[in-house]
Amino acid sequence: MTDSKITSKEAIMLVVTIFVSHTIVTLPQNLLSNTKSATLINLIYVGIIAILLAYVIYRLLKNFASLDIIDISQYLGGNVLKSIVGGIFIAYFIVTSSNLLREFCEGLRVAFFPMTNILSILVPFILVLFITNYLSFSSNVKTISLIFPLVLISIVFLFFGNFGNFSFERMFPVLGKGFADTFITGIGNIFAFSGISCLYFIPPYLKEPNQMKKICLSSVIIGLMYFLFCTATILLLFSFFVDVDEVLPLYSAASYIEFGIFFQRLESFFMLIWILEIGSYLIVTNRFSISIFQKITNLKFHKPLAMIFPLLIFGIALLPKNYSIIRFLESNIYAYFIIAIVFVFGIAILFLANLKKRKEKRVKPQKIQ
Amino acid sequence: MNFKQILTDLFTYTPQEEYNFELLRNTVNDTELENEYLKKENQDTSIYTSLSVNLEYVKSKYNSMINSDIIVREFTLIARGKQYSAFLLYIDGMIDTDIMNRFILEPLMLRNKSNLYGNDQNRIISEAVTNNITVRKVKKFNLADYIMNCLMPQNTVKQCSEFSEVFNDVNSGNCALFIDTLNVAFDIEVKGFEKRSIEKPENEIVIKGAHEAFVENIRTNTSLIRRSVHNENLIIENIKIGEITKTSCALCYIKTLANSDLVSEVRYRLNNLKIDSMLSSGQLEQMIIDNNLISIPQTISTERPDKTASYLLDGRVILLVNGAPYALIVPAVYTDFLSTPDDKNMRTSFSNFVKWIRILATFLSLLLPGLYVAIASFHQELLPTDLLYSILASRETVPFPVIFEILLLEISFELIREAGIRVPSPIGPTIGIVGALIIGQSAVSAGIVSPVLIIIVAITGIASFAVPDYSFSFHLRLYRFAFIFLGYCCGFLGIGLGLLAYIAVLCDTKSFGIPLTSGISPLQKTVGHSYFLQPIWLREFRASYLDAKKEEKQEKISMKWKYPFLKKEDTK
Repeated sequence: MTDSKITSKEAIMLVVTIFVSHTIVTLPQNLLSNTKSATLINLIYVGIIAILLAYVIYRLLKNFASLDIIDISQYLGGNVLKSIVGGIFIAYFIVTSSNLLREFCEGLRVAFFPMTNILSILVPFILVLFITNYLSFSSNVKTISLIFPLVLISIVFLFFGNFGNFSFERMFPVLGKGFADTFITGIGNIFAFSGISCLYFIPPYLKEPNQMKKICLSSVIIGLMYFLFCTATILLLFSFFVDVDEVLPLYSAASYIEFGIFFQRLESFFMLIWILEIGSYLIVTNRFSISIFQKITNLKFHKPLAMIFPLLIFGIALLPKNYSIIRFLESNIYAYFIIAIVFVFGIAILFLANLKKRKEKRVKPQKIQ
Repeated sequence: MNFKQILTDLFTYTPQEEYNFELLRNTVNDTELENEYLKKENQDTSIYTSLSVNLEYVKSKYNSMINSDIIVREFTLIARGKQYSAFLLYIDGMIDTDIMNRFILEPLMLRNKSNLYGNDQNRIISEAVTNNITVRKVKKFNLADYIMNCLMPQNTVKQCSEFSEVFNDVNSGNCALFIDTLNVAFDIEVKGFEKRSIEKPENEIVIKGAHEAFVENIRTNTSLIRRSVHNENLIIENIKIGEITKTSCALCYIKTLANSDLVSEVRYRLNNLKIDSMLSSGQLEQMIIDNNLISIPQTISTERPDKTASYLLDGRVILLVNGAPYALIVPAVYTDFLSTPDDKNMRTSFSNFVKWIRILATFLSLLLPGLYVAIASFHQELLPTDLLYSILASRETVPFPVIFEILLLEISFELIREAGIRVPSPIGPTIGIVGALIIGQSAVSAGIVSPVLIIIVAITGIASFAVPDYSFSFHLRLYRFAFIFLGYCCGFLGIGLGLLAYIAVLCDTKSFGIPLTSGISPLQKTVGHSYFLQPIWLREFRASYLDAKKEEKQEKISMKWKYPFLKKEDTK
């Protein structure tokens, strides 16, 4: 187990990786289509709510030291609830990662491999997952921590590289479709912070569990900053994205960067970095899925599962017939799916477990008396 | 030839006269019998008191009837006026005959006064008279002790009671003295074989460092390390490896610095090698590393005593193999393969600059051809239009796909490199020039490859030479082909995912319990280690991942001459 322990900074990277990878595909586009020119304000608003929720999660997890949500659900409802919660979160990780993978691969197909079957683009990712799943958890986290700074730099570079092309008037009207759409129905944009789901599973892996508060808050704040950079780049660069079904908007934004005569089209280099990022995301979700499965089935070793989960992701990624279906699922179903599981179900489990613990605490002193 | 002869040749049977040797495989029973025989042979046998029995045993063990360099010198030894039969066993060419004549045979055979008196063999140590009774404390005469203490003016002599001990040292160049009536033999160090003298390093050349390199003799190598470290806490343990060769290996560490668990782990691995032979440090490296499936080196191999001493002083463990002019340093981390001894000898800014160059060299060596193939096949938009046109124009006459072109050139380059190493040294550089100039130029003229590709392969080749560690450079060369293939198959997708898998495997690899990427990961604070050097006065700590017994390398204020008025407690 000592081999699988990670530092608090690595844990922050892990959570932010989940946030970031969705921005590479259509997340900024979905946010923009929901709240139009008010997206930046809306993001700050939902970001604050996400920070509060992250703090709530920290407070709820605090009473259970190094236990994750699976252990906590076992405490709450025994093995049955543990299996149900585990199953739901495995489904969540598998479905979201397969959807993201398919979406990204569709984007890759449009950008680089128009004549290639989607199967051939998906397979290399799955092969890499086979390899990384055989390795230790800490090595996976180290890999992510080596890659993540590159991704962060790429987005900052993208923002400042495009700065000359920005039209700041696109931020207006400030409230987009109106106050209600920005602050009431716009609260739905919180699905962007789905990376919070990792917070439920991180405690057992932490070298210093007392750093959980720092991890919860820092990861959401870094993620929020990152979202702001990405969304601002797209909002200020192309207004038409709000309505047009374009794949990989950040990739399109990268093609506008120009550095002299030599570097005119750098988007492929950005794509190289983002491929690494998507790979990192898949590594994280896979490892969490495997770890949950190990817990609910009491398996000692993770290596026998190394191939099963990537194959599951591969199979589910192939289910949607075309890109339109994926986009439909992404914008109409997955957002609610994420909100329901990450922000409602997860917090509810933790809340009930805390209630039970408090009740037990109250009962115990009476018995002693 | 008459008619009868022709008929005879045609119709009579003539046996086949061709010589045809075939190596027959032993049957299972034969192998079992042989194994049993070998087991009996390998059993320890004690030395007998009868000289003739010992002589027979030694002769049969060494096959002295057919072994030309095994010498058994029989003679008569004089001790306290008495004569004893004796013989010396040694291997011709491995001993110093002068030492043997002057310090072994001469004192044992020649008569001298002190050795002649045939008095009572027992020696009175003390005598006391009480009530007219004399009490004497007598030490019984012991021939073995007498020979050892009085007749052998030799610095390294030891008594052995087992034949295996004696044979082991005789095989290393010692001689063995057997004496009638004694059930022990004397193992006397008289090594005197020819060996290479200390020369300049050939593969790790530095500008400002020492110009001494290890040689094949393990004792010379340990003395070179001792001279550099100059501390009594430097421990050099001797470990024999190999059932047949019993090669001497040295496990070196500084007792007060190296982590005890690390030393124990290295010792454990060395003591648990069940092999017949160990002939080089390269073989030893492969036998003790954690993961042999990947080609990433997990130990540092060096021919430089100063580099070895520097790592010893960091708290690492050194392994030496007799017969190998290289030391193995464990554990190793990734950045060690990009460092040279010169880095610490140069000004910090100079060394950090070349360290940047080496990172670039690593990147180019690993990825440049793959990136070129990916860009040429999938991502042409990356190139400026003018450059793209000129590349396309240069490739117009080339009939092959880019993958064929690059593989052709890369393989040619590897052939030239291999030929350059294998051929005698005066011809080596010529092969490089012939290969690079003539073949390259001709290939371009013939339209087999494009000139751009020549530039790419040349830059890659130069970059791989800039990587200081040979094994690491080889590893990059090998993986380069994988990235070429990935770049050709899937462009940046292949390269990106290949890189991800490579980094993941790299992060998972450990060298003696220490992750190979220690000190690289930006989020893990590694005290005392970073790839880029700090100014020398700030290098206060040893690398934290080594968990050395002493963390501090120097005081906080190391250059005390600069701050003469500071209080003592402020400088620590």
